[in-house]
Amino acid sequence: MWSSLQRWWGVILILVAVSATVWLGATQQLVLYIHPRYVVFTVVMAALALVMGVLSLAIRPANTEEAVAPRGWSRVVGGVALLLSGAIALTLVIVPPTTLSSATASQRDIVGSTVGSDSQNVDEVANADDELIASFTVVDWSSLLRQTSDPNFYSNKTADVVGFITASEDDPANIFYLSRFTVTCCAVDAQPTGVAVYAPDWANEFDVDAWVEITGSFEINPSSRSDLALVLVPETMTVVERPSEPYLY
Amino acid sequence: MSTTLPASVDDHHHQHDHRPRRSRNRWLWLAIGTIGVAAIFALRAFTGELESVGVPGLTADLLTLATSVIIESLPFVVLGILLSIVVQTWLPDDLLMRYLPQRPVLRRAAISLFGIALPVCECGNVPLARGLILKGFSVPESMTFLLAAPIINPITIVTTHQAFGFDDGILVGRILGGLAIANIVGWLFSLHPQPNAMLTGRFAQQCAVGSHGPRQSRTEKSLDIFMRESSVLMPAVFIGSLIAGAIQVAVPRDVLVSLGSNPLWSILAMMALAFVISVCSSVDAFFILPFASTFMPGSIVTFLVFGPIIDIKMLAIMRTTFTAKVLLQLSLVVALMSACIGLVINYVV
Repeated sequence: MWSSLQRWWGVILILVAVSATVWLGATQQLVLYIHPRYVVFTVVMAALALVMGVLSLAIRPANTEEAVAPRGWSRVVGGVALLLSGAIALTLVIVPPTTLSSATASQRDIVGSTVGSDSQNVDEVANADDELIASFTVVDWSSLLRQTSDPNFYSNKTADVVGFITASEDDPANIFYLSRFTVTCCAVDAQPTGVAVYAPDWANEFDVDAWVEITGSFEINPSSRSDLALVLVPETMTVVERPSEPYLY
Repeated sequence: MSTTLPASVDDHHHQHDHRPRRSRNRWLWLAIGTIGVAAIFALRAFTGELESVGVPGLTADLLTLATSVIIESLPFVVLGILLSIVVQTWLPDDLLMRYLPQRPVLRRAAISLFGIALPVCECGNVPLARGLILKGFSVPESMTFLLAAPIINPITIVTTHQAFGFDDGILVGRILGGLAIANIVGWLFSLHPQPNAMLTGRFAQQCAVGSHGPRQSRTEKSLDIFMRESSVLMPAVFIGSLIAGAIQVAVPRDVLVSLGSNPLWSILAMMALAFVISVCSSVDAFFILPFASTFMPGSIVTFLVFGPIIDIKMLAIMRTTFTAKVLLQLSLVVALMSACIGLVINYVV
């Protein structure tokens, strides 16, 4: 029993993992974990492994190894590895797919983030039309804010941005960061970026990690507890569904 | 494939002919496997609709990160197993051996270039390297292959070029550095008096049985290898990914990044980062791209040379094949050499 479980454990694990992968691919949620450029390759290899796994169960190759019953410590280690990998496999099919949360955003230093610092250039944006400005993401705005904090530059520009809420450390009651993760490879390298939003007592209406859409303009920071020069002051602020591609690339 | 299912022509090792029962069994197990997979899909489709299962923020992020490492490396693991099957089962025995030079140094140099034709990253390389040992390569030779191939494989070169172009000698430094490390480590380990003592007991035993096991058809042998390799590799991939995810949640990223601008510290920080994040060599260039402005070029090269060879997930996977002592020596040698390469580039460029 022990030896045939060990023999087949890998096939079971790989079947669970690739089934989960294929399902994520079919429901278009693979982008929660990897950059879109790897999606096709990942799904093709997963499908191949799925076929090989089921066929190897069916053919059940003759056991060519003399089974050595593990003893003592190696049995314990083997057992722990089996349980632990089984538990991870279980989470792959039980836990609903999700994005990284604000906990990781603040741990990865949202304020000092330099992601996409060259995504927009102040000189080019100065006279941009409204249509272009409406398409700016939080990454574009935070890149501009890093280049200039001159209020006049922002005076006639309305931001329309979507992101999730990460609480500010300086003035958590009145300021939060509207944040997005930027991904270049997979969720492992996700870098948080965000713009500070001034909304007194936001926590009464909105939860941390909630996805919201905000229209508004950048103004001089009214908060005395935070040393940011400019903050986004919302005109409208509505809770929205998580976008189907929550990460930016 | 279904036509090959009942064919068990090579079952001569059985004393009695069980063919009818065996083939009925096969259809039974095919059904069990299919139903099992369908059940997984059904469960996943059901749980996928749930809002949440009450996992708090950081734990949920840990699972997301671990899942991300698993999903990112899984296709390369599968590709590695498939190539290992091709090498062990479908290529003529002496094809690879025939053209290799006889002198050990040249031989290892030639082997370190194999990777150019094999689009596998490090986790896929382990099954392939195991296949090469079973095929008759010496342990140091297959180790040379194992270290060089993830760095000079075509996907890695293309993605590194996409990410960095020829700027700052990053691409060239990565390729030459990887080849140098692989050859020097191969030479060092070839001085070992008993190469087979570097292998774990289980794998050494498999090598000993390898060639004179019972006869199987090629399909059976292929699926046998698939079953074996996945049972060895998958627990290692899973556990390695979980540990990598846990450390990322525990260690703030800015601790590493704040060390970025010092020539020496930034190299050590990069090695620590590469060790922890455990992404595959085929995609790590994109991983490190956002840090390119923070870190010095030599430190990026160190990341790109050290990461493919030594990281948490990779150590877990390599432990299936090599003893802990060998892995410790390997880690030290590779760390020292990649740090040297990085320092040279930091001070020269």
